[in-house]
Amino acid sequence: MSLDAYRITSEPYYQPHGEEIEIFRAAYDERLPVMLKGPTGCGKTRFVEHMAWRLGRPLITVAAHEDMTAADLAGRYLLEPEGTVWHDGPLTQAVRQGAICYLDEIVEARQDTTVVIHPLTDARRVLPLEKHNEIVPAHADFQLTISYNPGYQSAVKDLKESTKQRFLAIDFSYPPPQIESAIVTRESGADAALADILVAIGQRSRNLQGHGLDEGASTRMLIHAGRLVRGGLPLATAVQSSIVLPITDNPDVRAALRAAIDACMP
Amino acid sequence: MSTAAPLSPVQATSATQTLRQMMRQRDALRAPFEATWKELSKRWSTDDLDAWAAAVLALANVNIGPTGLIAYWDVSRSDTAAGIAPLLEAADAATEICRNAGARAAALSLKSLPIARNAFASEPMLTRWWSALRGLSREAPEVIEPMALRMSTILAPGSIDAFENFIAAGLKLAAGNKAVRLDYFTLQHELTRRLVSREFGGVDFAETERHLKTFVTALLGRVPLLRSLPPADTAIPRRASIAGPLIRLPDVYRGFEGDAAWSLYRAAAAHAHAHLVLGSDRFIVGKLKPLQIVLVGLIEDARIETLAMRQLPGLRRLWAPYHTAKPAGIATAPALLARLSRTLFDPDYADDDGFVAKGRALFGQSSPRLEDPAISREIGMLLGNDLGQMRVQFNAKTYVVEPVYRDDNLGLWDFDEPPQANAEVLEMFVDAARIEQQESDDAPRQENQAPDSEAGKARSVAPDQRGTVLATYPEWDRRHGIERPEWTTVREVAAVRGDPKRITEALDRADVLRGRVAQLVRGLRVGRSVRLNRQHDGHDLDLDAVIDAGLALRTGQDPDPRVFRSSTSKHRDLATLLLIDTSQSTSDRLASGATVLDVERLAVAVLAEAMQALQDPFGLLAFASDGRDDVKLTTVKAFGESYGADSMARLDGLASGYSTRLGTALRHAGAVIAPATSFRKLVLVLTDGEPSDIDVDDPADLIEDARRAVMNLHARGIDSFGVVLGSAGITAASRIFGRGNTMLVHRVEDLPSRLSELYFRLARR
Ligand SMILES: Nc1ncnc2c1ncn2[C@@H]1O[C@H](COP(=O)(O)OP(=O)(O)OP(=O)(O)O)[C@@H](O)[C@H]1O
Ligand SMILES: [Mg+2]
Repeated sequence: MSLDAYRITSEPYYQPHGEEIEIFRAAYDERLPVMLKGPTGCGKTRFVEHMAWRLGRPLITVAAHEDMTAADLAGRYLLEPEGTVWHDGPLTQAVRQGAICYLDEIVEARQDTTVVIHPLTDARRVLPLEKHNEIVPAHADFQLTISYNPGYQSAVKDLKESTKQRFLAIDFSYPPPQIESAIVTRESGADAALADILVAIGQRSRNLQGHGLDEGASTRMLIHAGRLVRGGLPLATAVQSSIVLPITDNPDVRAALRAAIDACMP
Repeated sequence: MSTAAPLSPVQATSATQTLRQMMRQRDALRAPFEATWKELSKRWSTDDLDAWAAAVLALANVNIGPTGLIAYWDVSRSDTAAGIAPLLEAADAATEICRNAGARAAALSLKSLPIARNAFASEPMLTRWWSALRGLSREAPEVIEPMALRMSTILAPGSIDAFENFIAAGLKLAAGNKAVRLDYFTLQHELTRRLVSREFGGVDFAETERHLKTFVTALLGRVPLLRSLPPADTAIPRRASIAGPLIRLPDVYRGFEGDAAWSLYRAAAAHAHAHLVLGSDRFIVGKLKPLQIVLVGLIEDARIETLAMRQLPGLRRLWAPYHTAKPAGIATAPALLARLSRTLFDPDYADDDGFVAKGRALFGQSSPRLEDPAISREIGMLLGNDLGQMRVQFNAKTYVVEPVYRDDNLGLWDFDEPPQANAEVLEMFVDAARIEQQESDDAPRQENQAPDSEAGKARSVAPDQRGTVLATYPEWDRRHGIERPEWTTVREVAAVRGDPKRITEALDRADVLRGRVAQLVRGLRVGRSVRLNRQHDGHDLDLDAVIDAGLALRTGQDPDPRVFRSSTSKHRDLATLLLIDTSQSTSDRLASGATVLDVERLAVAVLAEAMQALQDPFGLLAFASDGRDDVKLTTVKAFGESYGADSMARLDGLASGYSTRLGTALRHAGAVIAPATSFRKLVLVLTDGEPSDIDVDDPADLIEDARRAVMNLHARGIDSFGVVLGSAGITAASRIFGRGNTMLVHRVEDLPSRLSELYFRLARR
């Protein structure tokens, strides 16, 4: 089976704001696994797409979830007319054929699922398929990247130490204002002045992280607001429905946030 | 003798003459009288003066005394605009009050008149104010004096209706009971505070505090330390004030109600916080003159506001409504200052006064250097000089910063050692310094959160009123290996109500932990579904089971029909009773200054909030003992009631004292939790050491008894878990609860987070 469908043919727009590209490239050169740490909607997914394109590798993305089993990642036998047939899971495909495999929100998966990546992410670089009675050595081009939002970290959901310590980490925080503004402009079509206001609004909400909000508004939210305004909604309405309402249910925090947002408006 | 008063020969026996005669014989009063007379005679006709003299005589005749007379003269002089009528009315009212309530009450009422003038702009309202006082002096003469002393607080809502209602409510509440009445009118009574600040449309600091905190944190990215500023006992209106890192906002802004008050609080908090975040280090006072100090502050205000508005242009909308100065009217110093403030704030404002224009030009020239606080000092000194030379009147003592949302700017200044400033300047700062001092005196008290003296008294119950007997319990006699029936007596000690606000404040300070716990709550509340594989039916095929079944079919075996998978949300059904040790040792202080009990309180508050959010049934019970006949239990929260201000007040009211008879407390806890219908029942004990009591020599006895109590609970399906503070009690605790059911908290400060984490661990089992 070919991975052509997973190849990225045109450049995904990604605006770097640190040394993330260099670090990732260096990690890839050594085939070291990478963990992208950062809040939601700050460009992690976009970054991996961009890097896969740059490195000319196919990208296989798996969104982790609570019900995901090891078989969902590695593969299982399926029944076909001629008998049972082994089907590689997405991870196995990437391992065999040399893709970059991106496990999004890895903490969501149960810890017993997570351990299947252990042999892949140390010196062994193999994927044991117990049920298939096979040990798949990783293709020379294979690389594993995971994403991880430390904001969610809690006693209930956290990565095992033994998982965490296998990865290099790249910190993805919100881009600096000018850069974020450029991203918002580019992605939403908003003009620079509007993008600046939206970024200022984003910063107000981020100031409340840990003081009423679990996490501030993501770049993604700002882009959404920009789109709504471009579509003709008044700014206040757009901000209300793309930022204030989704981000918190607490009426007090909403009121205070609204007042602070008003201070950003021209 | 120099008097400008013409003496009319016609009215030979006029009041004027009688009064002057009288004053000639009163050495102490002569000088102030002459000064007053001189001033009044410039304003009034002879007839008016005579009427006034008659009023003074009437006051003298009821023996109001020198203080009262001087107070009357002061109020007569101070309101230059008003005619004579309100003054005659004041004298008449004071005369009646003096008759009913005594000279001091009358004098103090007169002294509080300026405050009333300030609160009510119109004469009819002042008339109502006086008549309310007159009425009160008849009905409850003893309260006039204390009330007059607190007039500025009482008039804070700024409406005469509020004042009348305040008095009516007090008389009704007391229903003739003098003690209650005094409590009420000295503002000690809980109801008073609410009436004074809130109920009449007034919005007070307490109500806005949380909102302001979140608002300015969002604005400028730093959490402010907000405090309230009680009203001054003068007529001078309060402004916000910065002291060190503290932003102190007036308890109420007189004359602002509802939304207007909310907006003003926001404007004030944003301005003050901008000083702290964008402003400079303190300026050195050096040899600056009062006007220069005021002007440096004014320029600094403009500087930080301009900086803030560069980032956050919408702040202009927040502040603009208060800049109402107009380029007209008499150019007094306060007026010019207000106009200068406006011109620096509002580019569209036109004012061709030379001084104002110069200020604008200087500030404009410095705009490339706006980040540099030195410009405030430079420009302020120049302008201060100019204004000083214009010979406009300026009184540093009565000067109030305008517009209303700005702070008094005293927090901007620092004295060099030794201070070089002149006396007048020093005086400007006396008040601020005093308040700062007070704040630091208060600090330790706030930290340790010891219940107030009243609570302390209530706790030390006399031996004959040890509380209602709830139950008696057996106790294990280790030496003889028998259980002694009815050996201990449990008494309910009614909870002392503390202040729920202290609990919420402590929670606010711990907001990081609280946020983390809230996240745990959410994690537990939603999405805790478990997947069930190989089910007879379900919403989804279990792929692995299907394949196995397929294989079985092909190989001719019986397939397992359970090929579905489903999920179910895991149902938590847990009731918890938290048993809180309040024995004497919990009064030990930690390095932070807080007591062990303080930390326990916070830990319980954090956990209680979480359990309430989870809607897990729980109870809070505090215990201590004073011998086997007096095991004291205090219900902080019963299972049936919901957790709120009442339980927090009781939690805050807990005090340390006595010993720890744990076994009995556990037995009673068992009795309290047993009726709960939950599937799992948990008694969580919070203690700082091993059991002990005054009538037991060997602690091993009580340890053994507690261990048996735990086993007994276990047999009834109730789990117990010990949380031990400090390593001293760990051996005993693991003996009592078993090693797996004991958690040691080495650093007491860690308790709040550890306790909640423990609960979540236990709750998920
Ligand atoms: N540096 C960036 N360059 C270009 N686009 C960006 C950048 N950062 C964020 N974006 C924009 O933000 C959107 C959200 O980013 P993305 O989906 O990569 O977030 P994420 O970090 O993967 O979020 P999540 O953790 O929720 O999956 C992207 O679609 C893109 O439009
Ligand atoms: Mg100021």
